[in-house]
Amino acid sequence: MSSQPLDPHSPPPALPPAAGPYVRLPKSPGLAAFLSLFPGLGQVYNGQIARAFVFFFAWVGSIYLTSTGHEFPFAFMIPFVYLYNLIDAWKGANAANTRFLGGRTEPEEDAGVESPVWGASLALFGVLILFNNLGWLDLDRLARWWPLLLIAVGAYFVYASVQQKKKAGETENEPPRL
Amino acid sequence: MSRPAFSPEGVTLGVCLVALGVLWTLSNLGRVEILPVVRTWWPLSLALWGVLELAELWIRRSSGRS
Repeated sequence: MSSQPLDPHSPPPALPPAAGPYVRLPKSPGLAAFLSLFPGLGQVYNGQIARAFVFFFAWVGSIYLTSTGHEFPFAFMIPFVYLYNLIDAWKGANAANTRFLGGRTEPEEDAGVESPVWGASLALFGVLILFNNLGWLDLDRLARWWPLLLIAVGAYFVYASVQQKKKAGETENEPPRL
Repeated sequence: MSRPAFSPEGVTLGVCLVALGVLWTLSNLGRVEILPVVRTWWPLSLALWGVLELAELWIRRSSGRS
């Protein structure tokens, strides 16, 4: 093995790049999802108290209404609310971490927030159940038409994905900004 | 994305808790029976939440335009 003499005029060898400072993220998505095994607890951990109440009461309410003879649609809502609550806790923790690091949250969240479909569906659903409770509307008579709901939701997904594709195409075709 | 004008979930939760507190107090005073009232009127919270979501979206859109 030959050793080269050190040249006093040569620059010192480059140091390896320094590792970034260790940043402790404020939320653990795994812990948030684990806590959400009891619906709403993960959202409490994420600091989303209102969401926690919503998930808890949606879950308890679905169980209560199923047990009092309203199997449709509340029996379907129990697993839906439960699983969505787990995913929401995971995503909420990730979003909190992203905000902590100064980043943006996921673009699809923005798209969802910008759509009036969520608010309109909630309001319509609430008014329909309220009218049923007041005796102004008989939801049991409308029960045979429930598959129309599937058609509407399916059509909405098709429409949303076509719109998303169109938007992506428009962004690709835009000339680069200088 | 612009900041939300207010939290529809938070406002709905607050209004529901206030309404529940008022009903419960009246029930304790023997003025109303809480369970039948809640059983009938609970979907109003969903309707309120939906309307507030739409209002929040409308406010954010109009403030984004100006």
